[in-house]
Order: sequence, then structure tokens, then C-alpha cells
Amino acid sequence: MEEKLLRDTFGDYLVKVGKNNADLVVLDADLSTSTRTNKFANEFPHRFFNMGIAEQNMVGVALGFAISGKVPVVSGFSIFTTGRAWEFIRLASHDNLNIKFITTHAGIVGEDGSTHHALEDLSLMSVLPNLNVLVPSDNIELNEILDYALKSHGPFYIRLPRGSFPKIHNQDYNFTLGKPDILKEGNDICLIAAGYGNFLALESISKIEKELNISAKVINLPSIKPIDKEALIKEVNDMKAIIVIEEHNVYCGFGSIITRIITEVYPIKIKCIGVENSFGSSGNREDLLNFFNLNTEKIIEEIKLMLKINV
Amino acid sequence: MYDLVKISKEDEKQILGEIIELKKDILKMLYQAQSGHPGGSLSCVNIIFLLYTKIMRFKKDNPLWKKRDIFILSKGHAAPALYAVLSKIGLIDRQELFTLRKFGSDLQGHPVKNPKLGIEISTGSLGMGLSIGVGCALASKIDKKQNLIYVLIGDGELNEGAIWEAAMAASHYKLDNLIAIVDRNGIQIDGSTEEIMALEPLAEKWKAFGWEVIEVDGSNLNDIIQGFEKSKKILRKPKVIIFYLIKGSEVSFMEHTRKFHGRAPNKEEYETAIIELEKIKKDLV
Repeated sequence: MEEKLLRDTFGDYLVKVGKNNADLVVLDADLSTSTRTNKFANEFPHRFFNMGIAEQNMVGVALGFAISGKVPVVSGFSIFTTGRAWEFIRLASHDNLNIKFITTHAGIVGEDGSTHHALEDLSLMSVLPNLNVLVPSDNIELNEILDYALKSHGPFYIRLPRGSFPKIHNQDYNFTLGKPDILKEGNDICLIAAGYGNFLALESISKIEKELNISAKVINLPSIKPIDKEALIKEVNDMKAIIVIEEHNVYCGFGSIITRIITEVYPIKIKCIGVENSFGSSGNREDLLNFFNLNTEKIIEEIKLMLKINV
Repeated sequence: MYDLVKISKEDEKQILGEIIELKKDILKMLYQAQSGHPGGSLSCVNIIFLLYTKIMRFKKDNPLWKKRDIFILSKGHAAPALYAVLSKIGLIDRQELFTLRKFGSDLQGHPVKNPKLGIEISTGSLGMGLSIGVGCALASKIDKKQNLIYVLIGDGELNEGAIWEAAMAASHYKLDNLIAIVDRNGIQIDGSTEEIMALEPLAEKWKAFGWEVIEVDGSNLNDIIQGFEKSKKILRKPKVIIFYLIKGSEVSFMEHTRKFHGRAPNKEEYETAIIELEKIKKDLV
């Protein structure tokens, strides 16, 4: 059965919390049908604000809502919101305001093409002090992350894909800000990912672990920022190598952050698999994932290289 | 026609004298900091002073009073003017004024959010304040609050596209609790506003965006107050008051020039300016 779209989970969640939180307001930039904030708009028309195709003003208005005691959720496409309105988001972070930026169509969008992929948003957002940057890897985790963000004070950026991600968590999963979530234990090599990369990591390992007689650990790190450094280091200690997988440009992305944190403490070989300094092109998601080498073949090849396994 | 808070001749002299003292404080702050923006602070300090003392519902003993009117200094480089006024009404210790721009001071070069001082949000990057004002105004509408939102914008700042996005939104949502204030002094960093990026016909632009436009000679206290009072009466649309003001107002060599937009006076300039201001105060009739 096809998994529910993460943006549908987001839209449904807003309706659910909107009933109990009268201060919640939702803003969108003429994309409410795509982001699914239209579900909230239908239920609570007086607390939904379509700001038109004007991301800067949308975020500026959210700043005003926040200093007036409202809890604004700002949505739109990831690249337009984080890119066009970056400096307004910087101000939200600067003043530590209670705004939740929850955008869709992050990472590889597909047919809309290179102008619409968001392969730079994590860099743009992670550089901002105070801003929490979260990437869910399935619907279960998304619900947990939304719960956390809406119950916490302060600015959050949560990136959602256009499509669905395969389920990798059980219903009893608990999200903890900053903490690594161990999806699979292992001793030789550690794969670290956020979002869809976790599924690719698990798939890759299941294909080769027995055959190559290796033991691989898979760490989900939904919290790109903040990261509990000690907890992460503890989990990767004594590994022979690390692979970071990200649906994002590897320049100044998730892998760069992880590499800095880990190598500040001890030297270890780290390979970042992601988009290699490219804007991409149109195509279906699978073709683009292959174009960017974001697939199990590439991950398996890198595992063999790093563990010096000759095939 | 309007319920004017008419200022008597005697009060006018008193207020004009107080504004001179504020200008002296601004210059002293900038002289001691040896950086900052005299021109655009001197131009609008009278407006900020009247807002805090005659126009806005604001309790200096309780800057977070829930029913307060909101003031956003979108042209954040006029911070010295805001700080001088906040000091005058007792929210900032006068000696603290002269820590402006120094390491560790609460009084940064541009205003930083500080609820104790009633500074609602940080400003300094231009073009953001009007959107913020739209958000405050929408929130007040949801909460059925009667307060007003004032946003002070520089005329050069109107080059920013986000201002016009906000102008469209304010009119779309019929935000009659939002009052934009334009400091129309005609000069921005690199030259006159008409040379750099022509704004005229400015009033027509705002009207075309659905705003009520009130144009006021900013050198007359009663006209300023009348402009604000008039703006309060207009319903179902946002209001902009274009105040025609003078860059570097009341310091002869700072007036109408871009030279002191972003440069502090040196010792000689500072001393000359203070002498000029004291003379103007002495000559008030």
C-alpha cells in the first residue's frame, strides 16, 4: 500500500491542533492546495492567511503575528520560502520568535525541474542561530516532530517532501530533539541519514550485510540542528568509517555538519553521499535519484570502498 | 473637523525645547560613538517624540501593557532618535544613552528586541517593518483589540520591494488599525531619492495600492498631531502619513545633505551643532 504523503499528514495535523490551539494561525503563499494547508483553511478560515505569491511579506507578517502572541505556521515550497524570505527568517531566528516554518517539496521535487528542487535549504537554515532544523523520515516521525515543534517555544524549520517516504518507524517511536535515533545496530561502518536517506541506508545494508559479512549501524538524525554532539560521538565511536546520506547538496549540507562535529573529536574517514554541486533537472523522482547517485548501488559501492572489500 | 489635541502656544514652546534637547542627546550619542546616522535621526525625532507623548496609548511603567499601541521603527538606523525619546520618557537611564554602539551595551547601532524598553522587534535591515506591522494588525483584528500599529519607514527604504508586498496585503485585509509613517526627507545614502530610485509620484503610488494618504508638513507640531488624529478617523483601509521632514533637521550643515546620513560629527562639528541647537532653543518664542 502506498504510504500517505507527508504533506497530507502535515495538513491533517494542523486541523487537529487548530481545534485546541486558538492562537495557531497558518500562512501560505498561494500554494495551500499543494502544501495541504488548505485543510486548515477550510476548517478555520479566519485563522488562515493566504498572502499571495509574496514569501518575504508572508514571513514578515508571521513576525508580526509572533510578537503579538500568535503561533504562526508558515508554509509554501521549501526553496521559495527559505530562499526568497531568508532574511526575514533570519530575523525570526535573531529574535527567537515562536514561528514554525513547515515547507513542502523539499529535496528532489521531480518533473518541475531544477528551478524547483530544494537542495540548498538545509544550508540556508542551519546557519541561523536559534533555529531548530528538522527532517522527518516517515509519517510516524513527522507526527512526533510536529508535536514537539508546536509544543515548544521558538523558531523551527521542518522540511517535507512532495511525495511519500516508506515507513521505517514503529508507532511507539519517540522523537527527542538533537538525539540520534538508532535504526539498526552494527560495529564496522555507520550510515547516518535524515529523511529518505534512512530508507536507502536500510535497504543497502539489508542487501549486502550477510553476503559481505559486515556489521553496519544505521543512525537516523532527524534533528539537523541542534545535534547532541556527545550522544552522536558515542554512537559512532570505534567505527572504521562513516557514510552520510543526504537529499541535498553535499556542499555545506547535512554531511558537512556531521563531519565537522565528529572530526573535531577524532579523525575518521567520512563519505558524504548526496547531490554533487548540481541543480539537477526535470524527470521522475526515481530517475533523478539515480542521476544524483542517491541509490543503494552507490551506497553499497562506497561501503565496499571504505571497508576495502574487493569484489 | 477633527477632535484635535490642540497644542497651546505655551506648550508648543515647551515641546520644541524638548525636541532640541533630544537632538542634542542624539548628537552627543553619535559623537561619543564616532559612528551612526545623524541625518535620519534628526529628521524624525519630533515624530517619534510626539508618538510616545501625545499619540500612542503606551504606559511607560508597563511597556508590555496588553492594550498598548505598537510602534515599529522600520528605519532602524534612526535608533538614536528612538533611544533619546525612550530616555526622555524614563525607560532608558540618560547616562546609558552614551553607551550607544559600544560592546556590551543594550543600545546597539540598530534596535534589538527588548521588551523592557518596549522595543517590540529588532530592525535595521530595511524593508521589513511594514510586513511586521501587517502581522500585528491582523493579530489585533483576530483578538478584537482596539490598539493601533504605527510603522515608521524611511523614504529611501521605500525602494525595497517587500514594502509594496506589505502595502498590497494591508489593503487586501482592510487594515484600518495600521498607520504607516513615511519620513519624506528626500535623501538616501548615495544621493537624493529622486536621483537614486525615483519615488514620485509617491502619494499616488500609495493611493493606487488602496491606502488613504495624508500629507503633512512635519515642521509644525499641530499639523503633525492633526495628521495622526485624522488618520485615526479613517476606517476600512490602511493609512499612510507622508511627513515632509528635513534630513539633519536644525543643524545647518547637516540639513538637506547626504553627507551626514551615516557619519558621526567630529569634535568641531559636534561643538558647532550644539551651539546652533542651543541658540535655536534660546530664540524660541
